[in-house]
Amino acid sequence: MAETRETSGGGDEMEALRELFRPHIESFDYFIDAGMEVMLRSINAVEVRHPKSNTSLRIWLENPELVSPVKEGRKAMREPLFPYECRQAGTSYRGKFNADVCFQYDDRPPVIRQRFNFGHIPIMLKSKLCHLRRADAQKLTHHKEEATEMGGYFICGGLERLVRLLIMQRRHFPLSLVRGSYSNRGLGYTDKAVVIRCVREDQSAVTVRLYYLQSGSARVGFRVRGKEFLLPVGILLKALIDTNDREIYASLTRCYSETHQREKGSVGTQLVRERAKIILDEVRSLSLYTSLQCLEHIGESFQPIMYGLEKETHSAVGEIVLRDYVFVHLGNNHDKFNLLIFMLQKLFALVDQTAAPDNADALQNQEVLLPGHLVTVYLKDKLQEWLSRSREFLEEELKNNEKDFDLHNMAQVKKLIDKNAAHVGRLVENMLKVGSLAAGSAVELPQMVGLTIQAERLNFLRFISHFRSVHRGAYFTKMRTTSVRKLLPESWGFFCPVHTPDGEPCGLLNHMSSTCRITNYYDSRGYIKDYLKYKKSILTVLVGIGMSPSLPKLETSGPPEALNVLLDGCVVGSIISTKIEQAVMHIRGLKLSATSGIPDDLEVGYVPLTMGGAYPGLYLFTSPSRFVRPVRNISNPFGRNQGVELIGSFEQAYMEIRCADGGDGGRKDPFPATHEEIHPTGILSVVANLTPWSDHNQSPRNMYQCQMAKQTMGFSSQALQFRADNKSYHLQTPQTPIVRTTAYTKYCIDEYPTGTNAIVAVLAYTGYDMEDAMILNKSSVDRGMCRGQIYQVESVDLAKNHDRGDKEVKIFARSNLDKSVRSSIDSDGLPYIGQRINPGEPLYSSYNTLSGTIKPTMMKGLEPAIVDYVAVDGASSKQSLQKVNIRLRRPRNPVIGDKFSSRHGQKGVCSQLWPDIDMPFSGVTGMRPDLIINPHAFPSRMTIGMLLESIAAKGGSLHGKFVDATPFSSSTKNVDGDLPHESKSLVDELGPLLSSYGFNYHGLEVLYSGVYGTELACEIFIGPVYYQRLRHMVSDKFQVRSTGITDPLTRQPVGGRKHGGGIRFGEMERDSILAHGAAYLLHDRLHTCSDYHIADVCRLCGSVLATSIMQHQKRAVREIGGLPPLKTPKKVTCQACRTNKGMETVAMPYVFRYLATELAAMNIKISLKLSNRAAA
Amino acid sequence: MEGGGSYHRMPKVRIREMKDDYLKFELRETDASMANALRRVMLAEVPTIAIDLVEIEINSSVLNDEFIAHRLGLIPLVSDRAMEMRFSRDCDACDGDGQCQFCSVEFHLWARCESDQTLDVTSADLKSNDPLVQPVDVARAIDAAAAGGTLSSAVDSSDNRGIIIVKLRRGQELRLRAIARKGIGKDHAKWSPGATVTFMYEPDIHINEEMMESLTLDEKRQWIDSSPTKVFDIDPNTQQVVIVDPEAYTYDEEVIKKAEAMGKSGLVEIYAKEDSFIFTVESTGAVKAYQMLVNAIDVLRQKLDAVRYTEDADFHLLDEHMGGAAL
Repeated sequence: MAETRETSGGGDEMEALRELFRPHIESFDYFIDAGMEVMLRSINAVEVRHPKSNTSLRIWLENPELVSPVKEGRKAMREPLFPYECRQAGTSYRGKFNADVCFQYDDRPPVIRQRFNFGHIPIMLKSKLCHLRRADAQKLTHHKEEATEMGGYFICGGLERLVRLLIMQRRHFPLSLVRGSYSNRGLGYTDKAVVIRCVREDQSAVTVRLYYLQSGSARVGFRVRGKEFLLPVGILLKALIDTNDREIYASLTRCYSETHQREKGSVGTQLVRERAKIILDEVRSLSLYTSLQCLEHIGESFQPIMYGLEKETHSAVGEIVLRDYVFVHLGNNHDKFNLLIFMLQKLFALVDQTAAPDNADALQNQEVLLPGHLVTVYLKDKLQEWLSRSREFLEEELKNNEKDFDLHNMAQVKKLIDKNAAHVGRLVENMLKVGSLAAGSAVELPQMVGLTIQAERLNFLRFISHFRSVHRGAYFTKMRTTSVRKLLPESWGFFCPVHTPDGEPCGLLNHMSSTCRITNYYDSRGYIKDYLKYKKSILTVLVGIGMSPSLPKLETSGPPEALNVLLDGCVVGSIISTKIEQAVMHIRGLKLSATSGIPDDLEVGYVPLTMGGAYPGLYLFTSPSRFVRPVRNISNPFGRNQGVELIGSFEQAYMEIRCADGGDGGRKDPFPATHEEIHPTGILSVVANLTPWSDHNQSPRNMYQCQMAKQTMGFSSQALQFRADNKSYHLQTPQTPIVRTTAYTKYCIDEYPTGTNAIVAVLAYTGYDMEDAMILNKSSVDRGMCRGQIYQVESVDLAKNHDRGDKEVKIFARSNLDKSVRSSIDSDGLPYIGQRINPGEPLYSSYNTLSGTIKPTMMKGLEPAIVDYVAVDGASSKQSLQKVNIRLRRPRNPVIGDKFSSRHGQKGVCSQLWPDIDMPFSGVTGMRPDLIINPHAFPSRMTIGMLLESIAAKGGSLHGKFVDATPFSSSTKNVDGDLPHESKSLVDELGPLLSSYGFNYHGLEVLYSGVYGTELACEIFIGPVYYQRLRHMVSDKFQVRSTGITDPLTRQPVGGRKHGGGIRFGEMERDSILAHGAAYLLHDRLHTCSDYHIADVCRLCGSVLATSIMQHQKRAVREIGGLPPLKTPKKVTCQACRTNKGMETVAMPYVFRYLATELAAMNIKISLKLSNRAAA
Repeated sequence: MEGGGSYHRMPKVRIREMKDDYLKFELRETDASMANALRRVMLAEVPTIAIDLVEIEINSSVLNDEFIAHRLGLIPLVSDRAMEMRFSRDCDACDGDGQCQFCSVEFHLWARCESDQTLDVTSADLKSNDPLVQPVDVARAIDAAAAGGTLSSAVDSSDNRGIIIVKLRRGQELRLRAIARKGIGKDHAKWSPGATVTFMYEPDIHINEEMMESLTLDEKRQWIDSSPTKVFDIDPNTQQVVIVDPEAYTYDEEVIKKAEAMGKSGLVEIYAKEDSFIFTVESTGAVKAYQMLVNAIDVLRQKLDAVRYTEDADFHLLDEHMGGAAL
């Protein structure tokens, strides 16, 4: 399975970009390479027993195989299916999933293998099974993809979906937690527990919690089928290995010694002895003495809830419980025993407050859920489900259909269970499509919904950000406390401090920094990591530097004398505390050596001895899906990758990493730094890295920019011609920014530019630039500045939406009789390409073969559109053409009300398209600005970066060179190692360039009024600034209404832009009108323009409802030719009073009548008392 | 127009530099309103011809129809005919549909890429039905051909490749008919003949020689260097500060500030002459820069005439105000 990593096309300049997508692709690659195999192995076999003959049939799965996507249908055998086709046809990019189902009768050979197809599983783009895996730019464009296609997502139903990276608890590390909810577990439970999330080789997890009881004992809790079961810890200790009370007592109390009382790092107290006794007494009181008795006790209690083990002995069931639910990451009961002892010691230290609780919200204790792992876990669950269901089917068949059904007849068995096999693939596809797990899934995941998101290609930055975003979990969005949303120091370097959205998901949806990586199953040469080998070499190294191994039993003393060493959640031994620092140094050194056999992403989490700090120990991790980032090891600068070491989020908290500015970070610390940051921009995400001179801006402005960069209308796609996104925004003539950061070139953003270099003048001119409004130069817009289009795809499938049964078939056709549609519809029933279609004009026309009618379908929407293309899906329509994608293009040139923003969180709305001749002009160059913003935008927002950008861009354009605006560059060392002049400000670097070209040093210019030709009172700050056009445009948002449709029930105007509704004139608006005393306006808004109604009311009984119009007998009125017939006057009578004497007309809101009706239904009568106020 | 009231002036124009697309002239003895009016008219109201209507027959290029139409519109066409042409909106020969010879010029473009090499469709591919109205770069190439050399060589030479409209790959095709019409820059920037029209007030610089002499040579040099543009220099013989180029002064007041910073306020006094302007005109090539000025004056006069001959206008007050000289 080993395969060297391919450097798939695109060249090296794309390497940095590709790195961003790697966690997604590599995790799926592992699923393909080995994950499936491992997962199938861990699926429990099922056994069917004939009720009479007692022959048994064991069924299990082997040999999984996932096939590259191929076209379906008879004609297209084995032809590869390409992603482009899936996007256009709205299908899924998926491959067949096959596996051997093995049958064995009575546990005797032979094993009968049958190939089963389990449906289709979506294939991640650019994964090992994707046809585009090794494609270079040329091949990609040939297959109608982006030349820079990165992959990492799935195509489900034509939509690009990717798995949301979710924060999970770090695997294999016992966390001590204090949570109020723990005390609700039962009587006597406290709020303290030690929790470890154990992950099997197939990525499925079981969390084991060790609760502390008020009595001093502890309970072990784990979930079986969604329900938590609690066991006394003593029983588990005894059941795990053959031991005696003395040994358990000794192991538990080994962390306490009188000599080290109250010393730094002593975690044990005298109470530990008492508690050990209580734990042992507890077991004895249940009259369980031996290991076997404990095992049987466990087996007996769990047998009723374990399926398929009804026939097993108690002890066998007990063994299975221990194997399948307790510390599933460990294969050895001795290891499990040692870990449990360690956890107990940690729990006691937490209770005695000799060690602090861990923070589950800190990145230190977290890892991430990867797409490959999610698919593995879910597929395993569904296959297991299929197996158990198959068993049920067989058993039922044996019971009900005794005569015909023969268990030995393979064909019959296969036929019976094959029915549901394809459903497995469908469930997986559906999970990726919708993002939610099917009901009844027994997977331990943090949430059931929102597991996948759509990768929108609004612009490239938004697209990348999806792949770099990490979500804390849906559960936390509803939490009222804000502590989870805090930016903790632990996430330094891993999560971008700037790039998180404002509002509801703030702090929960983070973005990985540009340098952050996620560990995976592949080593640096592209081979699948051999964890056993790693473990062996790490252990050899550890023993070599003085670790005493823990197997078979942990006998050495605990902290502070010696520290426990945990490797991936397995207590492997302990090291004398005096030697430990040296040991850590040594391992770190080996991490950097290529030949040591120690993985380069090994995490060496050394928690030193402290007074009441975190529980000490040496925690080593080699596991996948951890956050790591590169940092320069300055104590060993010549190792692998020039001393660049990958450090994890756990170890970082205990390391000394200095900033690369050569300073002391503002502290005089006795601890010398061992590591150094590579560049300060490494802590920023890709999007945050693109803001020029973000270090000169007020920080919230940089956050806003990260938001707005993702809403920018840019160059969305290079393969735009072939794409079928529902809606895509496209800027007609984008430009590359003059002022840019190094990240801009590094991540090849030039392939997808997002803005325009506009000449911006900062002045208050005409008053139309107040309050963040901005004036655009009409001529600039005429010449194409910020022009754009919206592309919308209308998917028409005539095979869908059957009105009457299945017989009705519709095909595209044009009517030969109706000549009026000819101007817009071609002879095939589809529109002409390039045709402009107005709302209400036909978009296509279809022929109903059953009724024989031809009906044109009108275009929806309020504005005209141009037909961009018509894509025909010939594959899925059987005989005649039934499925097409019609793409409509809507021009979106800048108009008043459109939103623009610079790259510094300075957004504004266009308030006027001002004539060029009225714009102020420079006397020297004759330049008129493209855009005018108000100077008030600066003082309170402090976006100095924007001013610098303006000066720099002016100098840059005069000089003909791009200007580097990488943040923090003034605080990093130069190549020669010394810092640039501290005293010299950035302006003093940019100013001389302007002066040398005859411009003002500070970017000011003398401007003349365009209207009067006179000099403006002061010099104006003017220069080019890169402006983005945001996707919020008035044309998509304006809402006006004079009259229109009303709600039939209340006769009030409806809401909603789509239906031509109005904007609600609500209570607060009403209040303000009342306050002004504008009674006529109030009446107009709330009554006349709403549900004005003239009701007939009976004066006698006061009823609105009892009045009704009398049906007149048609009086024979002779029609007078040419004149309209006489209107017979309405005769209204009161049904209750049986007279029309008291009839009056009253103007009222129609809802009042509705209220009266509703009340009448409840037997409440409303009666009106009428009086003529004028008369009274 | 005799009599000469307070508002009556006889502006003088002196042309300093003249090229086809560049003009520098002085405008004297008038005020800013006149100068600015001239600037505004040159930018926005001198008529030119530009493609206004595009009928696309085939477009299989990567750019969409509107984009190509927009690009075609922005190509400057030789507009020497523009003054005589009619606006299609008030053309009576074609009932305002704007497709007759008096108000429009028709262009055809047909390009198809047959080779593996990318084909640049340029303004040179636009075939006009009026030899007088051509894209400016084509007209230049024709002129060059007339002066010597063949047309094709002139078109192909790197200087006159034409304005690229779109690039075609193998099999892509563009075929269209375009109607160019007369228009003004006020309606759309494509009809604006001026790339840049600007003027500056002529500066009046007085150096306080006495105070200047109190400066050391080093200080003088510092003071001179404080101006971003080269206005002053030191006479190598007399070592006195002399004004080398008063018009290079941008009214940035750097030298005044510098003088103040040196404690020598009043070292130099600079005023803008209120009645003297230096114009710089750059043309897109549609109309020659000189013609642009002449046309602008024409347009301006037409506008004044339009006001003057308005029947219902009451000029009595204006007459009185101007000392009876207006009419």
